[in-house]
Amino acid sequence: MVMARISLTVNGKPVTAEVEPRWPLSEFLRDHLRLTGTHVGCDTSQCGACTVHVNGSALRSCTFFAVQADGAEVTTIEGISDGETLHPMQVAFHECHALQCGFCTPGQIMNAIDLVRREPDLSEENIRRGLEGNLCRCTGYYNIIKAVAAGARAMREQAG
Amino acid sequence: MYAFDYRRPASLSETLAYLREKPDAKPIAGGMSLVPLMRHRMADPAALVDLAAIADLKRIEASADGLLIGAMVNHFTVSQSEAVKLCIPAIAQLAGGIGDPLVRNRGTIGGSLAHADPAACYPSAILALDAVIETSARAIPADDFITGMFSTALKPDEIITAVRFRRPDAAAYMKFINASSRFSIVGVFLSRFGNGVRVGVTGAGQHAFRPRALEEALSAEFSPDAARRVAISPDGLISDINGSAEYRAHLIAELAARAVTECQAGRAGAIL
Amino acid sequence: MYVGQPLRRPEDQRFITGRGKYVDDIKPENCAYLGFLRSPHAHAKILRIDAGKALALPGVLRVVTARDWEAAGFGKLVCVHPMPSTNGQPMREKLRPAFAADKVNHVGDVVAAVVAETRYQVLDALEAIEVDYEPLPVLAETGRALDPDAPVLHSELGGNLISEILRGDPVKTRAALENAAHRVSLQLNSNRVAGNPLEPRCYVASYAPETDHCTLWATTQVPHMLRRWICKYALHLPEHKLRVIAPDVGGGFGNKVNFHVEVSTVVWLARALRRPVKWTATRSETLQSDTQARDHVTHATMAFDRDGRITGLRVDTIACLGAYLSNFAPSIPGNSYPQTITGLYATPALDLRVRTVYTNTVPIDAYRGSGRPEATWVNERLLENGARELGIDVVEARRRNLLKKTDFPYQTPVGRVYDSGNPPEMLDRLVKLAKYDELRREQAALRQQGVLMGIGLAAFLDKSGTGPSRQLSTKGGLHGGYESAIVRVHTDGKVTLFSGSHSHGQGHSITFAAIAADRLGIPVSDITVVQGDTDQVPYGNGTWGSRSASVGGTAIYRASEKILKKARRLAAHLLETSPDNLDYDAGMFSVRGSNRKISFGEVADAAYHASNYPDDLDFEPGLECTIFYDPPDLNDPEAMHLAVVLVDIGTGRVKLRDYFTVDDMGTIINPMIVEGQVHGGLAQGIGQAMMEHVVYDASSGQLLSGSFMDYAMPRAGDMPRLKSDYICTPAPSNPLGVKGGSETGTIGPPAAIGNAVIDALWHLGVRSIELPITPYAVWRAFQSGKAS
Repeated sequence: MVMARISLTVNGKPVTAEVEPRWPLSEFLRDHLRLTGTHVGCDTSQCGACTVHVNGSALRSCTFFAVQADGAEVTTIEGISDGETLHPMQVAFHECHALQCGFCTPGQIMNAIDLVRREPDLSEENIRRGLEGNLCRCTGYYNIIKAVAAGARAMREQAG
Repeated sequence: MYAFDYRRPASLSETLAYLREKPDAKPIAGGMSLVPLMRHRMADPAALVDLAAIADLKRIEASADGLLIGAMVNHFTVSQSEAVKLCIPAIAQLAGGIGDPLVRNRGTIGGSLAHADPAACYPSAILALDAVIETSARAIPADDFITGMFSTALKPDEIITAVRFRRPDAAAYMKFINASSRFSIVGVFLSRFGNGVRVGVTGAGQHAFRPRALEEALSAEFSPDAARRVAISPDGLISDINGSAEYRAHLIAELAARAVTECQAGRAGAIL
Repeated sequence: MYVGQPLRRPEDQRFITGRGKYVDDIKPENCAYLGFLRSPHAHAKILRIDAGKALALPGVLRVVTARDWEAAGFGKLVCVHPMPSTNGQPMREKLRPAFAADKVNHVGDVVAAVVAETRYQVLDALEAIEVDYEPLPVLAETGRALDPDAPVLHSELGGNLISEILRGDPVKTRAALENAAHRVSLQLNSNRVAGNPLEPRCYVASYAPETDHCTLWATTQVPHMLRRWICKYALHLPEHKLRVIAPDVGGGFGNKVNFHVEVSTVVWLARALRRPVKWTATRSETLQSDTQARDHVTHATMAFDRDGRITGLRVDTIACLGAYLSNFAPSIPGNSYPQTITGLYATPALDLRVRTVYTNTVPIDAYRGSGRPEATWVNERLLENGARELGIDVVEARRRNLLKKTDFPYQTPVGRVYDSGNPPEMLDRLVKLAKYDELRREQAALRQQGVLMGIGLAAFLDKSGTGPSRQLSTKGGLHGGYESAIVRVHTDGKVTLFSGSHSHGQGHSITFAAIAADRLGIPVSDITVVQGDTDQVPYGNGTWGSRSASVGGTAIYRASEKILKKARRLAAHLLETSPDNLDYDAGMFSVRGSNRKISFGEVADAAYHASNYPDDLDFEPGLECTIFYDPPDLNDPEAMHLAVVLVDIGTGRVKLRDYFTVDDMGTIINPMIVEGQVHGGLAQGIGQAMMEHVVYDASSGQLLSGSFMDYAMPRAGDMPRLKSDYICTPAPSNPLGVKGGSETGTIGPPAAIGNAVIDALWHLGVRSIELPITPYAVWRAFQSGKAS
């Protein structure tokens, strides 16, 4: 079985590696780059805990091979704050108590940031729809919905 | 996952050459169906040919007569496309209800049709709209495309390049959603071309199909009541934890009735 | 005052930046990986296991089966809460085995384990192990378990019955039922569900041969109990040679309390191979091995007088415990369920029979709510059907039956005494919050338009704060109910708290810090909290049964009190006055009527410097206190829920439009955290009510809901508009007045939503609805309503 050589950017840094084609991106991130903030919660591509951004768009890293990320820009939860300054969506999750055990949280935040890109009208209903692919077993979602609304407002204000 | 080789060709011709050279290679589009199967070791392709880099497969073209959607256009893009919304809004409605947002960022019309999951949404649309599946080798009418559960008329070295739709006078897609899988328990796509009504049903049987009795009744009288009066037979329909065959038979007629109401109101459908 | 404030949580910082440390994030050097071979059959003899081909594969280090476990002299996964039958007969016990020996008894039953260098090699090896099975007839339906012709799982036990629990007075109840003005009888099964915390279970064990010491990182809610069970019951190790660390745990809900079959094997093989061994469950494995919940078949009758007052309740339940006894299992239907079956009503006569049974399914054990959702479903569905049949408004029916504040402490027919509460006040609040009269008017108006709206309530009691150790023991428990705490003041006056409870999302850090900060008079930011490490924390009983605030919190409170008392003595000594002559405010001791003062931090420094301290035998240097606090009683949170639904009779789909809750959790330490607990509990309660279902095929015992493709759980769009309110009747049994707040959300929804759906469809002849209330269930109920 032939290893593949990939070159990509992860959280702004260039990465080159030899990978087995069968390694999901989630495995490459967690086991090889030791970026363990991206979590694996299921095995049928449904829970969304593994959500990352590839070329600016959110996807499930468990259902995407590392080889497919060759030449791509990958952003994980570890890459969205600016040094010590948290991303507005991270701040919103904390302020709104939108997390309890924290396991789904990186995926929720990565999806939420992408939701702000995908959806110009962030009504409560659209936020609820936009969270459909990210399961949470702890919070009952109400505070996540609040956090996404608050984070989106802050993001849009920042963007001017 | 079993081991496999991986290629990401830049052109269609390179892709086809590779598929001919390696008969146990599989094309991968969004991966939304294939990768979970591979993860469970239920699919074991020796090689994957990634179609992501082939620019030709990502066009959307609308005209007065209809719509062409490239095989690699993802569901999010279809749902947001002004061209699709103006030409056949029921397709934008359908695409916007597939899976969940993360699935829609990746899943493609070509991938969905090639996989032909018996509960996937697109197969009902191609039947109802009398679409044509354009491949690297030929053009396949929708009625000939789906041949069984997870099986289509495609040959191993043939890939879908685009789907061509005629513009109907009205169309709507009613999806009765499965709360766990986000597929359909039953999905009904209904279209009207002049006095002729076509209905595509997914989720209810071994594969998507057209219930002819319903089409005849609605072609004769385009009303919700006419749909509800049709007794759909439960024979051959699925019975599972989501519902019996009788329940699905009932849903087919009920969802068709609501699709008619949607068409009459100038709307494109709903997720129930 | 910090208690009562919505303080934010310090652990958020690592969670929102992806720096949480969950067990699967741990990857020791030279780590080997472990996988389990599981039975594909629900019931079968194991004729032959041949691992030859597997052992020959590259990277495979070891394959073990039941035979190896036996040869190593290991023990059993003991049931720590056995429950004999009421007639004194011991329960018929078949413990969960680490490895199935001659027979497999559920899909997912462990047959072998493989250790290899990589995860992929483990998967290849698992596929290469050959097992010959001889399938046996399967029993997968709880209602059939006691039929004379049902397949028997453990023939040495003589049948599928585990124990029979009888409570109440059958004679008195029979009379009440016979003389009743009105009776309602219903079949009220409780659906089997799976907790599914989002983090799958994971264990990493590493062994240091030079000290003969093993460290286990585990996804557990009970690090000390787990250590004890592995050492005492399973592997026969000295406890001080095993350190258990529960780092961040991604949800538990009771699942991660249990002594699961896999964990001992991970420790065993790390020791045997002298290298770290890691096992991570897949989600599919989780659904075949993590304990599941509920699964009752119940027939019940409630008797009323002409005014709708309950005169008697008879309940006959068969409760499934799965193929083997998991470690707390018997106490859920045997203890928690009976204790709350009469809910908040003055029920004069009760006849309760619970028979627990084995079936060829995954073992059942504790899951958020544990017995109370099942009890509330029975009690509240009967109450509302009775009210409707008698033509009494369902709110009025509650008024006539609810216990009053002055009835507490109240002894139920089961013997349990409820501590405190004010149910009528809660009902008033609920009716006001929901604007009940307006809802009824809206319902009538919508009915004219052919729209079916329904309103349903659930009033219920929870049971929390487990619990007095002696009481647990009289009920057969092999574990205590106390909680440990250390309050360690450092030489600079900052504080570290150690608690034997273990947060897996409930925000213990800030909760305990708030309690200590208020008690010690210091800023909450001066306090850190350590949990989850058996080397650092004294023996604790962990987090489950909504006990952490009332028991763990009180332990912290008491230890803080002692610290303050000692600090005051030392301060008085240093300021040359008596302790009564000191005021203490904002961290400063001051002598009354003078300007002499000393800060808490300075006192701490003096305690450790020890150059000047009281010359008493009982006064030692240092400023640290260890407490083991055993609560004198459980406590009883209460709640009431109201659900508003819209039923689409064409498809059966139910839209849960509005939901109202009123909770009495006594004193609330952190309202933000408590509200989060209510939200999360509600999601799980709504899940059980409307979509969650572990389904086994009746004839083959195959798990039809084996992944998230088929096991539905609520998503953001499924949650209703919610309004919540709280009242406070403090718990008399702890100084904080706290009751457990984390489970009520799961208890009410099946009854409230079920009642609402019945309300919507009553006029169409519908009297009964199955759980979960899926569109298909509604459609079936509607069809049978039409028929009758």
